[in-house]
Amino acid sequence: MYYPLVNIGYVVLFICLILFIKSNANQGKAYLIFAWYLGMVFSIQIISNIFMRLRINNLFLSHFYFVGQFIFLSFFYLNVLKEERQRKLVKLGLLLGLSAIGIQYVSDPGVFFKFNMFEIFVTSFLLIIYAVFHFYNMLNGKKEFYYVNIGILFYLFGSTILFFVGNLTTKLSPKISLLTWTLNAILLIIFYLLIVYEWNKSFSKKAIQ
Amino acid sequence: MKTNPIYEKEIVSIILYTSLFFTVVAIVLILFFYYSRKKISQKELEKKNLVIEHQREQLRAVIITQEEERKRIAQDLHDEISSKLNIVSLNSHLLTTPNLVDTEISEITKNIIDLVGKALENTRRIAHDLLPPVFDQFGLDAGVEELCLEFNSSKAVKVNYQNEVLFDKTDNDRHLHVFRILQELMNNSLRHGKAQNISVFFEDKNESTSCTYSDDGLGFDVHSSESKNGLGMKNIESRIELLKGVITFESGLNKGTLVVFNF
Repeated sequence: MYYPLVNIGYVVLFICLILFIKSNANQGKAYLIFAWYLGMVFSIQIISNIFMRLRINNLFLSHFYFVGQFIFLSFFYLNVLKEERQRKLVKLGLLLGLSAIGIQYVSDPGVFFKFNMFEIFVTSFLLIIYAVFHFYNMLNGKKEFYYVNIGILFYLFGSTILFFVGNLTTKLSPKISLLTWTLNAILLIIFYLLIVYEWNKSFSKKAIQ
Repeated sequence: MKTNPIYEKEIVSIILYTSLFFTVVAIVLILFFYYSRKKISQKELEKKNLVIEHQREQLRAVIITQEEERKRIAQDLHDEISSKLNIVSLNSHLLTTPNLVDTEISEITKNIIDLVGKALENTRRIAHDLLPPVFDQFGLDAGVEELCLEFNSSKAVKVNYQNEVLFDKTDNDRHLHVFRILQELMNNSLRHGKAQNISVFFEDKNESTSCTYSDDGLGFDVHSSESKNGLGMKNIESRIELLKGVITFESGLNKGTLVVFNF
């Protein structure tokens, strides 16, 4: 059950990446940043897969995933959010978040080899706040990146808990570990499908033109 | 059950982070709700202010029109009536001079009769312009018919009038608005639209009366703010609101104008 789901996830992510790279011209900075985000996620997935096949421990790649996701999506929201107060908060969050995570790594380097709950917590809750900012902006205005925003909020909510228990499940029986990663794979598929839907709704017409 | 201390530490850590996460998310949700309500009530306020502003503009238009009308009446009375009566008064004084020749007397009386006749005609015309007696006495159908006749006789435009509705004379107060709207539309078609054919058609539709007005003139841009904000348009809007009716304009440059309203 786990492996087919993961492979479907890879395929849908790849489709997202291709769609977003293909129709790149004149869609705006936010679109470009999101395409880069998809690229980053896809590369980390590929590298993780390679490490897994080579039987090398690939847990440390998760840090690149979380911090990379945090940086790319922070810049994405910096370009999507239009109110000055909100953008200041995003910049502040990026600065403080990265500093806090950096300080933690310097003071406790051992945390590099397992799931870093502090890092997961900080990156997730800050991104959730930015997503809620965007929803607030869209209350009365245009629906811009609406489904992507739903996807980000939905996925962060669902997967953060799964990652929190990540360290524990690796020590417990493989069946429990498989359960959390299966759930994560399902959430990812839903997230990527929402991205495809967003591309279809908002950007496919412009691409055809 | 022996719990491994490493697991214990891990589980405690997970519990702390999870509850912290949920607390933060709950706070975010509450703040979102609070600010959303503020935003929504602000938007409502803005909308209401727009409505008030619109009504204020309509009121302004009505008052301006009223003052212009008063000025016109004052000028009419002064130019047409008061000047003629002045001369009549002079002539009447002349009659009192002694030793007038017969021819002089008959000339002066002829002048007086002429001038009084003209002044009378002018008062009738002014009264008619203000409120046509035909409309007042015989109702909307007769009033519109007379209006069309007047425009026809000016030879500048041909008006086609068709009526399928029986108008109740007790409703004349409401019908006055319809009459004024038609007057405004026809004046516009003649002056600005330079139309050559106008048609007015009344029919009963779905428990209300509908009037279809069309001309073959120059038309106007329905969406431009200039045509929407003109004095005449605002007054038409006010009257339609008073009639609790709906009006639609269809027009394009050089494509004529079609106006449909019900009341």
